Amino acid sequence: MEQTPILEVEGLCTTFGRGGQTLPALRDVSFTVGEGEVLGLVGESGSGKSVTLRSVLGLARRYGEVTGSVRWQGQELTTKSERDLRPIRGRDIAMIFQEPMTSLNPLLTVGQQLVETLQAHTDLPRKARRDRAIEMLDLVGIPAAASRLTDYPHQFSGGMRQRVMIAIALAASPKLLLADEPTTALDVTIQAQILDLILRLSSDMKMGVIMVTHDLGVVAQTCDRVAVMYAGRIVEQGPVRQVLRDPHHAYTVGLMQSVPEGVAPRTQLYSIPGTPPSLAHLPPGCAFAPRCAASTEACLATRPALLRVSEDRQLACFNPKTQTKGCAA
Amino acid sequence: MSEAVLEINDLSLAFPISRSLADWVAGRPGKVVRALNGVSLQLQKGETLGVVGESGCGKSTLARCIVRLYEPTSGSVRHHGQDIFDASVRGDRAYNRRVQMMFQDPFSSLNPRMTTGQILSEALRVHEMRSEDQIPGRVAELLDLVRLPQDAAEKLPHEFSGGQRQRIAIARALAVEPEILIADELVSALDVSVQAQVVNLLLELQERLGLTVLFVAHDLRLVRHVSNRVAVIYLGRIVEIGDSETLFSSPSHPYSQALLSAAPSMDPDDKGQKVKLEGELPSPLNVPTGCAFHQRCRFADTRCHSESPTLRPLEGRGEVACHHVEKILHNA
Repeated sequence: MEQTPILEVEGLCTTFGRGGQTLPALRDVSFTVGEGEVLGLVGESGSGKSVTLRSVLGLARRYGEVTGSVRWQGQELTTKSERDLRPIRGRDIAMIFQEPMTSLNPLLTVGQQLVETLQAHTDLPRKARRDRAIEMLDLVGIPAAASRLTDYPHQFSGGMRQRVMIAIALAASPKLLLADEPTTALDVTIQAQILDLILRLSSDMKMGVIMVTHDLGVVAQTCDRVAVMYAGRIVEQGPVRQVLRDPHHAYTVGLMQSVPEGVAPRTQLYSIPGTPPSLAHLPPGCAFAPRCAASTEACLATRPALLRVSEDRQLACFNPKTQTKGCAA
Repeated sequence: MSEAVLEINDLSLAFPISRSLADWVAGRPGKVVRALNGVSLQLQKGETLGVVGESGCGKSTLARCIVRLYEPTSGSVRHHGQDIFDASVRGDRAYNRRVQMMFQDPFSSLNPRMTTGQILSEALRVHEMRSEDQIPGRVAELLDLVRLPQDAAEKLPHEFSGGQRQRIAIARALAVEPEILIADELVSALDVSVQAQVVNLLLELQERLGLTVLFVAHDLRLVRHVSNRVAVIYLGRIVEIGDSETLFSSPSHPYSQALLSAAPSMDPDDKGQKVKLEGELPSPLNVPTGCAFHQRCRFADTRCHSESPTLRPLEGRGEVACHHVEKILHNA
């Protein structure tokens, strides 16, 4: 599995300021994505999953302060101007947003929105752009694609709109796809179709994918590697099988146990005690320590760094659980 | 067990859409959205009945019919033998008190300008559950019941997290000592760990207060966990209903099979072992003839195109609406 990473993120910190307060949304996030690799980012709401994607694309810097390094095929993105980022956004790195209902322009036809992307990022002549637009809609499984180019977003169902979003994102054949909860708003049957589609395209076009989700089932079914986020940091990272089979971090363990699978019906489900910390009042030590059963004084005082624990696994914990049975075991 | 508290019989509901000018010129009748097409089921005392299906299949419409938010086009809902849509019962608040609904969106289902205390005491006052001087005591009791701190009574909904708001919604429903709770996607908007807390609370309260619950959700794992029986709905019709464990471990209807196998498994090695479903739910504006599922079904033949299957009991399983179910199960 030795791959050269196409995206290298190192020490990424994003801070938003509000009313004199500073809210550290991301703290020292580092990861890489290889060619054709699917990386999952999981965590609860507010853990910084979406901010990570937005910081990578340079969408967060308008609202907050972004430090650290994002290297795209060797080029540093964080220092690039908006103008220089333009040819990379959409052409090399594309993003699918969470809500298919609000992310398309309601005043333009689906065809116009697809062709617009092609016009901006490719040299195709007018006729070829139209053909490519039809081809893309066909590819994402929209029936009678040619006749639907002149339809407006409201004429499509949720699942179909998400497909249109994917078609637009993939129109310029990006090398990296950032998918922010691409299926959360959809039914399981449609979710299965969309995930299949993303995976197929990822392997056919050698496209790297960062899949943000809170559904561990989606991670298990689609990702090669997974990074678990808590309060703006990555707390555990590794190959999906290893992490789900044998989670080391107490938060990962808790997250997996909360899923009602393999538990006797109508019995009490495990739930992690307490609530996630507010970003304005992060504890000095490990952010998870106040909710953790295995926490010691060291956890409350100092923050554990994300360290390599085996060949391809990283963990930020002083008292890791080993050989804990995960749900998938 | 086996005392039916609620009997739903052949319930249908069609929402008319305003007739367009083109329809009027052509002399066509206006279109109707057929949200429910003959749903029959019984809710037994003390059980949890799970209702699953894709969005737009009529799950929420069914829930809303039961609490009289919608009036059905035909069919009946009987509560202890009494038709709830009967003219003489229609204005009766007693039924509203005994059947309480909890909604999906914790952000829009609580009045943002009322404190938790006001929200709860309003319910008590409207149904005259307690005399005026007993209300504060009862509010404190309710907050305790759903494990919210006592100072919550003074706070406004925006000061709470999503999970806490759903607890307030549960407390509001329980304030009037109902017999049946209708939970419409109660925990869908919450994170998994918070979901677990709310589900635990619901299970515990059900046990303690002997409640009957109709649990509508699209998260299949969760429905399996909380339900005694499960109904699978497709396009306003029940296609399969039966014991939760039997249905989830070996679904009989081809739609149930596809729906259940579409849920992503937690085991990374399960990749690609699925019964895949092509296409999407047909529009309820234009319900297919015969079996509504025939366009997406691998086993459909000409009979399915023309003849609508009825729910019939199957030995060792629940009730299934499919012409070919014996053949499908035999070959499986």
